[in-house]
Amino acid sequence: MRRLLTVLLVACAAAWALMPGAAWAHDVLVGSDPADGARLDAAPSEVTLVFNTAVRTGYAHVNVTGPGGTSWADGSAVVRKERVSVKVRPLGAAGEYVVGYRILSSDGHPVSGKVTFTLTRPGPGAEAPATPGATPAATPTATPTGTPTGTPTAAPTGTPVPSAAGGDQAGQGAVSPTGPASTAPDLSMQAAEAAANGGAGMAVLWIGGALLVLAAGTVVALRRSTRGEDRA
Amino acid sequence: MTTLTAAAPPRATPTTRLLLPGLFTVGALLAVVIASTLTAEEAVPGIPLPGPAVEYGLPIVRVLLDLAAVAVVGLSVLPKLLGFDTPDTTEPIMRRVRPLAVTAAWAWAITALLTIVFQTAELSPGAIPTLGMIADYVDSVGAGQGMLFSAACALVAAGIGLMAVRFGEKVPAELRIVVALFGLLPIPVTGHAVDSVWHDPLMISMELHVMGAAVWTGGLIAVMTYARPLLPEVLPRFSRLATVCLLLVSASGLVSGLGTMALTPGGELPGALLTTEYGLLVVTKVVLTAALVPVAAYIRFRLMRQQKTSVAVWAAAEVSIMGLAYGVAVAITRASIG
Repeated sequence: MRRLLTVLLVACAAAWALMPGAAWAHDVLVGSDPADGARLDAAPSEVTLVFNTAVRTGYAHVNVTGPGGTSWADGSAVVRKERVSVKVRPLGAAGEYVVGYRILSSDGHPVSGKVTFTLTRPGPGAEAPATPGATPAATPTATPTGTPTGTPTAAPTGTPVPSAAGGDQAGQGAVSPTGPASTAPDLSMQAAEAAANGGAGMAVLWIGGALLVLAAGTVVALRRSTRGEDRA
Repeated sequence: MTTLTAAAPPRATPTTRLLLPGLFTVGALLAVVIASTLTAEEAVPGIPLPGPAVEYGLPIVRVLLDLAAVAVVGLSVLPKLLGFDTPDTTEPIMRRVRPLAVTAAWAWAITALLTIVFQTAELSPGAIPTLGMIADYVDSVGAGQGMLFSAACALVAAGIGLMAVRFGEKVPAELRIVVALFGLLPIPVTGHAVDSVWHDPLMISMELHVMGAAVWTGGLIAVMTYARPLLPEVLPRFSRLATVCLLLVSASGLVSGLGTMALTPGGELPGALLTTEYGLLVVTKVVLTAALVPVAAYIRFRLMRQQKTSVAVWAAAEVSIMGLAYGVAVAITRASIG
């Protein structure tokens, strides 16, 4: 039994040694711009979410959904340490907008949620093709652009796809959100992240080292037990 | 073989031998499905979420991984509990157990690799993970590397288990135990962590929690399933180990659960215990552990002396509760704190 406890202690020591730096935490949304529940006169050009610790790059999704399920995010989310932001096309009708997010927490699992803000006056996007003086309580009919299903790579300001405005306003928005976020490669960020968690190379190194130690232990143990038998 | 079985008549029929592992598996699967349903990620407008195949597949595969790991640990601890003084009675048992440990280790490795696939799929909703995506995931996310390490340890455990099948107890039992426990170490890495000076102590607390739970549960199932004829000698030994594990598991569980909540923004105690999913699951686990204490104490102080058949009934109750706790444990690693 004492040997067993020793074994446990050794395993704990190994756990300590194996642990990477304290770079991991569970990410929780601590703030946003615009703030949750904010009432804005002017449409923001960008939405930023702030988390308590640095968010993993490469797996963040942020989208802005307007009245009637229209999608307003322009491009994919950009992660800068704790801040995750996404550009927003000029918003359209007044009403409630939902910023939905799903990020990869630095401790390795997805965290999702939403932030809501209200646009009190129709934004510039609302004036575009269809109905200029849209009523504040504008419904999907007033939303100008058909929501582009893919992320426009070089989205112009204003309304990207005017031709889509005519026939298919209402139904389309709810169908599919913007494509998967592929963050622009921010090399220094990625390097910092790799340094923090070792990367696969380090994992392979650890596994290789552990295998060597175990193999050596097995050989020693077997030799000792056979020698003990010879003596007996 | 026949002479040896005559010395220790196997009282356990195949059905009773499947009883405890079966109860444990059913309890764990039941708990994980219920808990995952209750704590499912809420739909967010405009953001694709993984489908039900991943939503339920991932926790179920994770539970199966835990079950396989518990089996390996339990079957590795068994020779220590049986003792080496009376090989005539213990060898027939070990001869049955050693191949099972190898099988369980293979199952562990496979479920660990499957978990990586599911974790990748969880991050890329709507897409079937390709090898490239999986490589990217393992390369960039610690949880993937942890699972890979766990799978490697499981394979080593299978290798050493094979040697034990061939060479018997010449392969030291401690070596098997250490390798199995080594494979458990990365598992907490896939759960929650905090950004604070308490990160390392909390991680170690979780490591102790995982190892203590595996030794306790695995040991109990292995002893009650395979060492029935030898219970008078084995049960006292196991009881001492179980007491240590019980103290270790409850203390480390409280420290890591409450610590993680206290150090995560939005997890203010004590209110968050009842308002967050994580807090509710912590409360559930505390209740389950509290339910284990009287059952374990009854087995230890009452039944052990009299050696009644009702040990089996009480052990079945204990194992079922442990199964539920394991299911909740998987859900807790994924529940939201804030």
